[in-house]
Amino acid sequence: MNLAEGVQLVSFIILTVMMLGAALAVVLSPNIVYSAFLLGGVFSAMAGLYLLLNASFVAAAQILVYVGAINVLILFAIMLVNKREDFAPVKYAWTRKIVTAAVCGGLFLLLGTTIITTPWAIDSTAAAGDEAIYILGEHFFTDFLLPFELVSVLLLMALIGAIVLARRDIIPDSSNVVGQDDLKLPEKPRELVSAGADGESS
Amino acid sequence: MQLQYFLLAAAALFCIGVYGLVTSRNAVRVLMSIELMLNAVNLNLMAFSNYLDPAVIRGQVFTVFVISIAAAEAAVGLAILLSIYRNRNTVDMEQFNLLKW
Amino acid sequence: MDVANLASQLNVGVILPEGIVILTLLTVLIVDIIRGRAANAITPYIAIGGLSASLAALCLQWNIANPVSFLGSFNGDPLSVVFRAIVVLSAAFTILMSIRYVERSGTSLGEFITILLTATLGGMFLCGASELVMIFVALETLSISSYLLTGYMKRDSRSNEAALKYLLIGASSSALFLYGVSLLYGLSGGETQLGAIAANLTAGGQSLGLIMALVFVIAGVAFKISAVPFHQWTPDVYEGSPTPVVAFLSVGSKTAGFALAVRLLVVVFPLLADEWHFVFTVLAMLSMILGNMVALAQTSMKRLLAYSSIGQAGFVMIGLIAGTEVGYASMIFYLLVYLFMNLGGFACVILFSLRTGTDQISEYSGLYHKDPLITLCLSLCLLSLGGIPPLAGFFGKIYLFWAGWQAGLYPLVLVGLVTSVISIYYYIRVVKMMVVREPQEMSDAVKNYPKVSWDAPGLKPLQVGLVISVVATTLVGVASNPVFTLAIDSVENSPALSASLAKAKEKSAIAVLPKDSPSLEVTKVASAKL
Repeated sequence: MNLAEGVQLVSFIILTVMMLGAALAVVLSPNIVYSAFLLGGVFSAMAGLYLLLNASFVAAAQILVYVGAINVLILFAIMLVNKREDFAPVKYAWTRKIVTAAVCGGLFLLLGTTIITTPWAIDSTAAAGDEAIYILGEHFFTDFLLPFELVSVLLLMALIGAIVLARRDIIPDSSNVVGQDDLKLPEKPRELVSAGADGESS
Repeated sequence: MQLQYFLLAAAALFCIGVYGLVTSRNAVRVLMSIELMLNAVNLNLMAFSNYLDPAVIRGQVFTVFVISIAAAEAAVGLAILLSIYRNRNTVDMEQFNLLKW
Repeated sequence: MDVANLASQLNVGVILPEGIVILTLLTVLIVDIIRGRAANAITPYIAIGGLSASLAALCLQWNIANPVSFLGSFNGDPLSVVFRAIVVLSAAFTILMSIRYVERSGTSLGEFITILLTATLGGMFLCGASELVMIFVALETLSISSYLLTGYMKRDSRSNEAALKYLLIGASSSALFLYGVSLLYGLSGGETQLGAIAANLTAGGQSLGLIMALVFVIAGVAFKISAVPFHQWTPDVYEGSPTPVVAFLSVGSKTAGFALAVRLLVVVFPLLADEWHFVFTVLAMLSMILGNMVALAQTSMKRLLAYSSIGQAGFVMIGLIAGTEVGYASMIFYLLVYLFMNLGGFACVILFSLRTGTDQISEYSGLYHKDPLITLCLSLCLLSLGGIPPLAGFFGKIYLFWAGWQAGLYPLVLVGLVTSVISIYYYIRVVKMMVVREPQEMSDAVKNYPKVSWDAPGLKPLQVGLVISVVATTLVGVASNPVFTLAIDSVENSPALSASLAKAKEKSAIAVLPKDSPSLEVTKVASAKL
């Protein structure tokens, strides 16, 4: 093993440990705010792994989109739904967790066996490296042109839809009796359940 | 460095995502778990792209698409979450039981 | 690659129908921005005009010389044309019935139509996508817009909850699907075109990796067609969503899911054909049994239709599993018939809930005395869904069961027959409740039934959609032969399926011919008679 390979291996190990540790903490941490920040750690470690895989453009995109947009969005969402909420305990929560953990462990073993036993057709051509960005551009405007254009429609619609759903409406909530039925399904709910359903209106 | 290392790391991340998806009670954390699963897929694609397809790098193209769509999905998911929070004043998955058969 | 050469390789003409939908979408959006609320009077008609133009363009695309476009991203063969036409039709009918519904709920119609058109676009592209990235992007376009539509009644916590459940389950299933797709990319040594993947996989032979990829891919596909046990979202989402959206999800989105199943499973997994046929047999049986059994116990009309749609998906899967020419053709035929009868049924349910504000089955009792038109239409659609003889649904089922029987799927066809008898029971229960009850047994909702009038804005289109689908439900049954020939044509002219068809033919020749070749002739004669 020469020096370059050694450095790669060490950085791979560090990044993977960081990624998996942060991911476990995201899932297990009792505090949602810590989870959100650690998610940023997962995304950054992932970007490091992409660099090891000779993909500098995707690594940059990962940082920009995942850390810069998605993670910030999640933090905003946590701020907006900022209510210190102690979830009522549910019966058998522990059994459910243990069973799920066992299933996930089994899934990992299965995937691991698959990965190790499959003879991957390794191609030893030199990697595109820094040329990758030119090749990506070429792909986007030739054989991946159609999905590229469709994504633009999808993003436009997601933008419109997210605004429609998340914006507050001009109709005042409580005082206006006429507005109460607005923005609701015309069908009555089957029974009146808990706080949110104030469906009885003739 | 071997392809298998990356794939194993991706598989582990995927399983952590599945675990979080099933056990989380906070809806925001469920969304985070889905992001973890998508990231695992991305790592898979990038590893394949580097080791099996180093000259044409279709895997990198795929990853860029997955990243952009994950962003759209997260935005829509959080918008839906906000509207449900406004009506029900909770993000606890166990409380979302108006619809049961 | 110079520009002229590239342009000819892109072969953009194939996606003309989709282009028209995109243009319509943008027009609706811009008109809505410029004219505000006043635009509600014209945007639905712009959308319907655009969808009709797109349908016409699809007809012109029938059997074009070079269906492969965008360097293999998209395949516009006749099979995809039929599926795309079904998606477009379902969107057009959905818009017809949603005008009044959305306006009454006080939400903005222009944005609703924009999102619905985007979902249509995703569904159309999914029907013809023949490349992994394209499949994923189209699938997500369809899914994300469906989540938005589901949560469109944002002040109603049922709608919110349905949207959240749909989003979380949908996003996780698409992550699973994507993991399977990434395995396919790796196993094929870095290919994303379906044909190339199939070729590379055949060289590699069966392996654990391929089986894992198949399992993950099936999880994604089965979610889209809501096959049991991937159906948990269906009843909840159907009950909580705006009813026109339910109509679109149960027809348009499901059709796109079936198109994806045909293309992905048949083209990519010929090596594991026995395995996925087995898995789908189990899924189909479970769907038929559970869907139809649980439907018996429902009290809400929307939930009844949700469970019945799970059962119907089970019937359609018979055609997919048969894997013969007749099998695929009967699947297409049934989806087309299902489009009309299911949308007709939903139009009636929407109309009833607009007039009375409820969708409880018990509230329908005695409706005949107040509103004979709805009663007649709903009865026809429900009877057709149950498969009562002169109606279209009967012929659809006969073709499916025949195709299954010819392919030797005896247990599956038997389960199908038994469960469709069960399904007749719960459909007839509703019909009986509406028609037979004496005037004094009327429910409160029917007693207070408003005077029947079609003058309110947005009701005329609903009436038009209702009448067209009911007429189609009755007429397609009588004129089933030309429609079925069309379906057969589309399957025969699609080269993507030819390899699997040849294989199925070989298999059935070995299985059937030595024993009783006349039986094949008998069924052929009988189907010609129909």
